[in-house]
Amino acid sequence: MLVLQLLVSGIETGALYALTAAGFALIFGATRIFHFAHGATYALAGYAFVFASRLGLTWPLGGLLALLVAVGFGLFLEAAVYRPIQRHHGAFFTIFVAAFGVVIVVQSLIELSFGRAFVAISTPLTRAHEILPGLYIARVFWLAIVVASLVFVSLGAFLARTRAGIGLRALSENPDLLRAFGLSARRLSALAFALGSALAVPGAVLGAATTGLSPAVGAHVMLISLAASVVGGIGSLRGAALAGLLLGIVETLVVAFLDTQWSEAAGFVVLFVFILFRPSGLFGAAVAR
Amino acid sequence: MIAYLLNLAQLAAIFGLLSVSLNILIGYGGIFSVAHAVFFGLGAYAGAHVALDLAPDILLAALAAALIAGVFSALLALPALRVRGEYFVIASLGLQMLATTVFTEASDVTGGLGGLVGIPPPTLFGVSLADPLVFLLVCLGALALALAVVRLLMRGSFGRALMALRDSESAAEALGKNVPLLKTLAVLLGGAGAGIAGALFAFQEAFVNVESFTLDQSVLIMAMVIIGGAGTLAGPLIGTVLLLALPAALTFIPGLPPTDIGAVQQLIYGLAMTLLMIFRPAGLAGRRAGQR
Repeated sequence: MLVLQLLVSGIETGALYALTAAGFALIFGATRIFHFAHGATYALAGYAFVFASRLGLTWPLGGLLALLVAVGFGLFLEAAVYRPIQRHHGAFFTIFVAAFGVVIVVQSLIELSFGRAFVAISTPLTRAHEILPGLYIARVFWLAIVVASLVFVSLGAFLARTRAGIGLRALSENPDLLRAFGLSARRLSALAFALGSALAVPGAVLGAATTGLSPAVGAHVMLISLAASVVGGIGSLRGAALAGLLLGIVETLVVAFLDTQWSEAAGFVVLFVFILFRPSGLFGAAVAR
Repeated sequence: MIAYLLNLAQLAAIFGLLSVSLNILIGYGGIFSVAHAVFFGLGAYAGAHVALDLAPDILLAALAAALIAGVFSALLALPALRVRGEYFVIASLGLQMLATTVFTEASDVTGGLGGLVGIPPPTLFGVSLADPLVFLLVCLGALALALAVVRLLMRGSFGRALMALRDSESAAEALGKNVPLLKTLAVLLGGAGAGIAGALFAFQEAFVNVESFTLDQSVLIMAMVIIGGAGTLAGPLIGTVLLLALPAALTFIPGLPPTDIGAVQQLIYGLAMTLLMIFRPAGLAGRRAGQR
């Protein structure tokens, strides 16, 4: 029963990882910007939600605030950090270092205003109910599954059917041709950042309600997103989502066999092996070299 | 006060050695590693064990540290040979995260979170180096040696080939440079340098534990190189002095609660990293953008 119980919570964690990783993959796929500060977006959204619930705002209002913060932050970074760097330089490591600086700044700002300790909000949603003998499932599990599926279905439809969605996919394949068609690469890249950042919100909000948040949560989430993107194939949304789900499950199931300290490391063993032997990931085209 | 300044100077020399060794990878080789603290840690553990189990001879400890760190640098050379760019950064991140867990869990060797305590003061051929001033001179000597080696190598054919590879891997390959060998050597050299810094660090602190060898430390070393100016001789040293002086300077700001110093320090250096990348990506000592 322990394994089943762990599997359930692994799926819950994995669904939220999948969303966040898909956001990272969407941004990287469309703009080729290695948005290392995606985890900072997650942390800010989560803390915005905590802030709202401390003010006594309701769930939807808190979620809306988190969404506004995430999207605003993503757009701000795109306009104030990434675009100026790309204009004159464009070396990926410059972007990486700048983004890492942002991660550090956000983490220390959160530390200064919310303290170092874990914060969590309690809600009746996380109260577990016994579904089978020995198997407890909280309502938040179903919520995570439903939200993740809904978001993925609508994202898929958006990318496949709408003009902007097709533009986003075109941006990743051939920015020059896009310009020739009279579409604005700049506006589409802002759209990618807005959408990708919004994808971090469900994970952040539900994360605040379940596992809790700490200032360092951004770094952890970012590492997971990276790992999921590589394992899934960089830039592949579907791959990142699937790998995010898998990583969540692996990370949780490992606990049944090893000490909890190894759960994060397990994900990185998978990551390291993938980079060495299959850098294009599960779904990616061979782009690594 | 004198003791405090001497301690700070020793740390500056040790971290200078660290950033100079990382500069071989980042600045000259274009190998963007964020796992340098791993080799720093391996060297520190190796040095500590030599001092605790054999003899506190600093030369012996440094050699063992360089050897261990050099051998394990193969773990970084492997992905460096196979992938580039973002992929390599992610691989080195993965290595760093794994190493942190291993350092914490392998408590038979590393002492886990408790660390290795009671490292005796260093000696050299039986002569004690326990005096802080003497030890500072030893650290500065190691740093000077590393700088001389880097300067010599980067002017020679190895350095030129390495920099050619950094600027265009395919061009270097087309000119018949042995790319895998160059990369492996650069990683080995950087790793061994970090290992020696680790051994010195173990003697300096008389105590090592995993907290000094985490991702945060790797990022700090990387920031020293980048902020100072990657690929220059003086850049890493400037970055080291600036970033080490920062926490010390912050303690003098009136009205800042001591508990917040850590966060404010992080805030400043994170901000410095971002702003510098936007306005002066080559670092303080580096040439202006577009000149390279």
